[in-house]
Amino acid sequence: MAKSDDCVHILQGLLVFGNVVIGMCGIALTAECIYFVSNPDGLYPLLQATENSDIYAAAWIGIFVGLALFALSILGIIAVIKASRTLLMVYIILMLITFAFEMASCITAATHRDSLTPEVFLKQMLERYQKSEPANSSDSEITKTWDELMLQNHCCGVLGPSDWQEYTSAFRLTHNDADYPWPRTCCALDAQGLPINLDGCKLGVPGYYNSNGCYDAISGPVNTHAWGVAWFGFAILCWTFCVLIGTMFYWSGIEY
Amino acid sequence: RPHSCPRHPGACTMLPLLLLLLPAAHGIAQLKYKPALTKEPPLEGVTTASTFVIDQPRCVFRGYDNAVIWLVVALDKAPFNNTAAPGTSETAFQDFPDPVRAYMTLNTTLSNYPCPKPDGDIAVLRVGSETSCAGDRMRPTCNGPLPGPGPYRVKFLALEGSVPVAETDWSTPITLREAKPPSSISVTDSGHSAGMIAITTILSILFAILLAALVATLFWGSDSCGGSSTFSKPESVTVRRYNTHHVYDQPAARL
Repeated sequence: MAKSDDCVHILQGLLVFGNVVIGMCGIALTAECIYFVSNPDGLYPLLQATENSDIYAAAWIGIFVGLALFALSILGIIAVIKASRTLLMVYIILMLITFAFEMASCITAATHRDSLTPEVFLKQMLERYQKSEPANSSDSEITKTWDELMLQNHCCGVLGPSDWQEYTSAFRLTHNDADYPWPRTCCALDAQGLPINLDGCKLGVPGYYNSNGCYDAISGPVNTHAWGVAWFGFAILCWTFCVLIGTMFYWSGIEY
Repeated sequence: RPHSCPRHPGACTMLPLLLLLLPAAHGIAQLKYKPALTKEPPLEGVTTASTFVIDQPRCVFRGYDNAVIWLVVALDKAPFNNTAAPGTSETAFQDFPDPVRAYMTLNTTLSNYPCPKPDGDIAVLRVGSETSCAGDRMRPTCNGPLPGPGPYRVKFLALEGSVPVAETDWSTPITLREAKPPSSISVTDSGHSAGMIAITTILSILFAILLAALVATLFWGSDSCGGSSTFSKPESVTVRRYNTHHVYDQPAARL
């Protein structure tokens, strides 16, 4: 009897510890997902326009899953200490549902991150940046977002200023090639927001224009966001898996 | 009467003049210089869809201080007559490329091309940069944007008055950039990264195991740690301890 008592106590202790970790991770997941949803890098208009803002959907699911994990971990701790079969079964079933939702969130975040290639952003930028008759407000949002992106990161286009030369664009329809080989926001600007040397910018003299593409500035935050949701969720789920297996084990051993 | 003069007095001056003009007509100096696209410093906009950038002809036209240097821009393989006058309808930019096959623009004196070139200066000419006069027929020497991708050839021509005195070689054919439509960008799936495949497979397997374990627990579960014995719940109801009769009987029997 003593041996199985010890065994039981160890199992209870492990399960309580496991649930505590799940609870804390749930809070952390909620906090992380709230941070991403609050759009700290200002890239949401670009992602929304790709009709592929599922990374944000994954973050929203993450918020609620995190809270659910916290609540369920408390239920789990109570259930393990009380060794109540009903409570434990409720806990297991609810945890499985939460597991399924979090799994969906992770896979969504990872899959849609893969679909955000440079070509997607390039096509969107060429078709909608500085569109003369914005069809809806998202076009002017896109123009604003790109202007801010190019100003803050000192970059031009997606792959470089040559994007504007290699492809025709909505921008090209209203700005002729000789005066605007690329938008003015690609020029090196002074404190007043005017180009330091307009001719140097139009010629493409190194130092008077931004020669890098903005894709790195976009993919950095998007990667952080997507992998933050996906990999952290994956880690929580692996831990939850172990705790659930232990809980089922424990449940099957409780005398009815 | 001097016997060297021919009969007609006017013809006395004609012959020397003719003799002077003949060398001038065939005497355009061929300068060994080929205009070329700017290579130093490397420029992002060295060719765009309607402009291109060539080096200024520094230290090329030596001794032609009175001449005006013109740039001749022609369609590739189009002939150009050096006696064509700039600023006329035959060389007007506004009629380029049809019917005018070559136009003249960017006229300047040699003082704008000082020799030698100071270090650090960027001495280039941007052909096609003037958009304001592109449709203005009063400005036939406009340096307007080129109407198509070309190819084009350029050369420099020095005119004194209206007489061409020197020219450079024709450049190699210059082709401008052609823009493709954005619909030509393919955005089909580029494949899945290893991370995404790992997450999907591992999570699916874990979920399947959990479901299987749940089914197993519900239908067969009675195994716990410590063997086949089950453990009891902590007491929630106090139970009175019963002593069996024979324990109390014995002391009574002793008494």
